Amino acid sequence: MGSLATIRGLHKTYLMGDETVHALDGVDLDFDRGEYVAILGPSGSGKSTLMHILGFMDTPTNGSILFEGEEVSGLGADRRAWYRSNRVGFVFQSFNLLPRLSVLENVALPLLYREDYTEAAREEAAKVALERVGMSHRLSHRPTQLSGGERQRVAIARAIVAKPAIVFADEPTGNLDVKNVDRILDLLGSLLAEGITVVLVTHDLSVAAKAKRVISMRSGKVQEDRRQ
Amino acid sequence: MKLLIRIRAAVINGLRELQANKVRSLLSMSGIILGVASLVAMVTVVQGMVGNFRQFVDAMGGIEKITVEKQALPKEQEHLAELSEGLTMRDVEQIKATIPIVRYVSPEARVGFEKLVWEGREVNTMINGVTPDWLPVAKRWVDPSQGRFISDLDILHKTDVCVLGSSISAELFPPNVDPLGKVIRLKGKRFVVIGLLNNIEAQGMEIRSASGKGKGGGGMWRWRNSGVYIPISTATSKFNGNDKLSGLGLQVATGDDLNYAVEQVERTLLQTHNGLKDFTLTTNEQTLDDFRKTETAFKLSLGGVAGISLFVGGIGIMNVMLASINERIREIGVRKAVGARGSDLFLQFLSEAAVISVLGGLIGLAVSMGIVWIMNYVLMQAVPTGVVAKFDWIIMLQGLSFSVVIGLIAGVYPAIRAANLDPIEALRHE
Repeated sequence: MGSLATIRGLHKTYLMGDETVHALDGVDLDFDRGEYVAILGPSGSGKSTLMHILGFMDTPTNGSILFEGEEVSGLGADRRAWYRSNRVGFVFQSFNLLPRLSVLENVALPLLYREDYTEAAREEAAKVALERVGMSHRLSHRPTQLSGGERQRVAIARAIVAKPAIVFADEPTGNLDVKNVDRILDLLGSLLAEGITVVLVTHDLSVAAKAKRVISMRSGKVQEDRRQ
Repeated sequence: MKLLIRIRAAVINGLRELQANKVRSLLSMSGIILGVASLVAMVTVVQGMVGNFRQFVDAMGGIEKITVEKQALPKEQEHLAELSEGLTMRDVEQIKATIPIVRYVSPEARVGFEKLVWEGREVNTMINGVTPDWLPVAKRWVDPSQGRFISDLDILHKTDVCVLGSSISAELFPPNVDPLGKVIRLKGKRFVVIGLLNNIEAQGMEIRSASGKGKGGGGMWRWRNSGVYIPISTATSKFNGNDKLSGLGLQVATGDDLNYAVEQVERTLLQTHNGLKDFTLTTNEQTLDDFRKTETAFKLSLGGVAGISLFVGGIGIMNVMLASINERIREIGVRKAVGARGSDLFLQFLSEAAVISVLGGLIGLAVSMGIVWIMNYVLMQAVPTGVVAKFDWIIMLQGLSFSVVIGLIAGVYPAIRAANLDPIEALRHE
């Protein structure tokens, strides 16, 4: 297994008008490779902020993050973009597939911003990822031609196409019917076998129950870190 | 190399966006299309006019020509009138002998507007007595198949020969008759036709008179193609009864010497005319100058109009790009989330603007070709002076590059906005 990320004393403060909001207020956490973690909490608890910072979309106000052994808390925008395209995958509640691109192009999109992939290699990798989520039969479809469950599977393929170390799933089942919820959560769980750390960000207890470890957050602090 | 690959990908993406929003793209292009079309069409037409004007000045003998004409004496010299004999062949000899920078001296003795008759057909035109120098000064020639011009021997022997302007020849003789060698009557005297002058309209012009109605050329060149030319000695001895000249045409070796030559000629003539200013010197410089001013005025005003429309076109592109970015904030967020850098998005949106402007520019060029074609057609119907404008690849290339530059400038600000969007905010955008 081994450690993937070590977070110490993480703070994030925003200025909202005259008021200072402590979105993260001293968070210490460790993530291992191949872990299935759920971050649970109501809105405003800081779980999204934590995901954004850990997902290289945002920077902390204070604190340190060791990611794969490197200090990454103070990285600039381009360096963070590199991490997003090489080490991190995102799955969103509303899928966020680009409507004008085909399924195959959507999945290949992250590789478009990498210089180590040729067009043929991008397509190949996208096909492998789509095969992995069972969507090989819909390569040239547009996202609007797919059902919600299918779209989320395509989104997962996009998240794993660049072989990331960690995948964040932000309320991945929020827009899905019951039948598809389990399929998607199982699919996410199956990524662990490839050494990918999966982080479910949710306010839904039943979703969090699928994970091996549940981190509960409240008011920018870790309230409970429980392995089940 | 990597940048080239990125640009290529961005351009392909730009084309796809264009295809996905055809109507919007066409609307955003319309400004550029109109701008490029008007710019290229206007410059092309102005250049065509300028070309015609050059030909006109050339037909008047070019800028190297000095014209000397008789003039009434100034009031204070009127009582001295008999001291000067007016313009004569002596002036010609004197100028030839003393002013080497004058290359040709062409004396003219006008007989007048008279009747020409051949086998019952008649036509009225100006009879001019000239010397062989008339040809180079007037920048005319006689095509070898059309006979010859008046020679020094004709002058010496006062022969009864004549050279006809092409339109006169066409009016006097039926099409199936070869005028050369025919005997015609000039003011009652018999003359042999020895040559026909070149048709001015056919000289250097792309298209001849549109309607073809004016025999041997019409429009503004018509007067240049009329007239009949006889040896100057014949004119003075057989018609005029004196050796007075009606004028001189001089050609200076180069236009640069013009002012100096004018000064020299004036001094020489004052000398031969015993100090009497009974002549006047004119050059084509004023004409050319006027025409240069017109040209500049045209270029500035039309260029200004075209420039404004291109500027408006640029604003149109910027507007559409900003709207398009607003619509695609979420897309920008997604692209950033999966690893796009700010520069990737900058490149993407700048390329879209560039693609719009290049395509708009190309369509504009096509439209400008149509405009010029129509203008040529209309102008040829109205004034049959030959073609007005022809296409110049350099102008077209300039128009296109201008539109691309405008498109790029217009695309920079929207592209910077896209590049600087915060991915988290962008993903939250509804």
